[in-house]
Amino acid sequence: MELGRLEYLQALVTEFQVTDSTGKKRRCSLALSVSSTSSHPRPFSFSLAEAKEQVLANLANFAYDPSNYEYLRQLQVLDLFLDMLTEDNETLVEFAMGGLCNLCLDKTNKEYILEANGVEPIINCLSSSNEETVVSAVTTLMFLTTPRSRVLTTALPVVECMLRFSLSANTRLSNLASIFLQDYCSPPQVEEARNLSKHTAVGIPLPKD
Amino acid sequence: QVYTINLESRYILIQGVPALGVMKELVEQFALYGAIEEYHALDEYPAEQFTEVYLIKFKKLQCARVAKKKMDERSFFGSLLHVCYAPEFETVQETREKLQDRRKYIAKATNQRDCFMLKKVEGPKKTASNNSEHDCPWSTSGSSIASNWDPSCFTSSPGVSHNTAYPSGNQNQSLLTPPHYDNSCAEISGYFGQNTSLTPSVHPGVCTPPTSLMQHRKVPACNGIDRFMPRTTHLQERKRKREEGNKFSLIGTSEDNTEVVIGPQLPEIPKVDMDDESLNTSATLIRNKLKEVADSVSTSVEKPESSSAKPVVKQRRRI
Repeated sequence: MELGRLEYLQALVTEFQVTDSTGKKRRCSLALSVSSTSSHPRPFSFSLAEAKEQVLANLANFAYDPSNYEYLRQLQVLDLFLDMLTEDNETLVEFAMGGLCNLCLDKTNKEYILEANGVEPIINCLSSSNEETVVSAVTTLMFLTTPRSRVLTTALPVVECMLRFSLSANTRLSNLASIFLQDYCSPPQVEEARNLSKHTAVGIPLPKD
Repeated sequence: QVYTINLESRYILIQGVPALGVMKELVEQFALYGAIEEYHALDEYPAEQFTEVYLIKFKKLQCARVAKKKMDERSFFGSLLHVCYAPEFETVQETREKLQDRRKYIAKATNQRDCFMLKKVEGPKKTASNNSEHDCPWSTSGSSIASNWDPSCFTSSPGVSHNTAYPSGNQNQSLLTPPHYDNSCAEISGYFGQNTSLTPSVHPGVCTPPTSLMQHRKVPACNGIDRFMPRTTHLQERKRKREEGNKFSLIGTSEDNTEVVIGPQLPEIPKVDMDDESLNTSATLIRNKLKEVADSVSTSVEKPESSSAKPVVKQRRRI
């Protein structure tokens, strides 16, 4: 493959150690390697978050193109995306979820994500207040559904969630949720979830648009 | 900022159209990019004074993609257009089809990745062909192959032959005569071996030219020559970069080495050439961002956000 591209992607994913305010060493699996001549003053840490977002966005966009998949796998970017799903920074979660959505259709990637127990953090993303994150999560669950994995991806809480989404005023979300229910769930499953939600508290807030 | 299949759509929204009754012209302009299925003005959509908002539905997503890319931020009758996708207008069925198409595309791309790579590369590399033809002593007239090859094809099964997909396949075989081999051999054998530990710099090394394979891999030898020649240019670039006084470099010292790696050097791109449009854009984006970050760090002791920070509130421009 072109070594330049691999190196470039590699650079994006270089690990480094950051010392946070309490003096603990915190390992960030996403970084830019900084020129050794700079002195890493404190102010740099403020823009670090932004730099991380930038880099993650780039990786997520790379993930849209199948020709990059092998390199991304080599660089363990899939793990990176999965790790980022549990970050506090909403933007990082959004970008990571987008990245996963982009690359999860590929068979190898799909298997990898399933093996790495990726379904759970993705399901958790369904309750994010970030619209893009939720939408990406719905699509990713769809794409990850296989005969073997559907017990996970179409678990009752998920189906329930999709039922609520399908009633959303947000067309994108409701469309995707409808497709999920129609194409990826069996009628009994939907029925069960419907019955369940009848008995639970009404007015469960949908994610803010 | 991150493009997913959910974001893209056959529907595109066009804002900033001057209210001069130019709908016909607008549609004609967009129709250049592909067949349009529907179009109408969106009167209820918020618009700046004296501008209108239109919705255009393309027959194919690909057309919408190109149209959006080309027409966004373009001036139209004196007003700046803002073009973005509008997936919220899709019907359930349309969304379903969109996802299906994406599935098919990935399936095809993953199985026959090489063919896809070829087709993808031929487009953007046309501009480079002229340039490399000068550099590469083997390029005969009309041969656009040399620069068009994307070596990343190599990583998949080496046995795949791309002859059929390549326009000037025949020409190359005559170019693969031994004399000029040696210089570029190191790189070629590196590619074939899928050796990721191969250093990026070109070094004329000892190698046995795998001629049988070469016939399938027309270009790499040319790449070697390309890489071999413009070394001075790279040194100049490095000097210029140093003079610019960038605080941070993306990849530290190794950034300078990435130049040597693949493909012809596009003259218009001054810095690291990733041999790919999207990568270059990303690289430039990161570089600029870093520059901004570096500038803001140097000018102020403490800043909660760098000057280039987007507001935390989701005021992101629709893409």
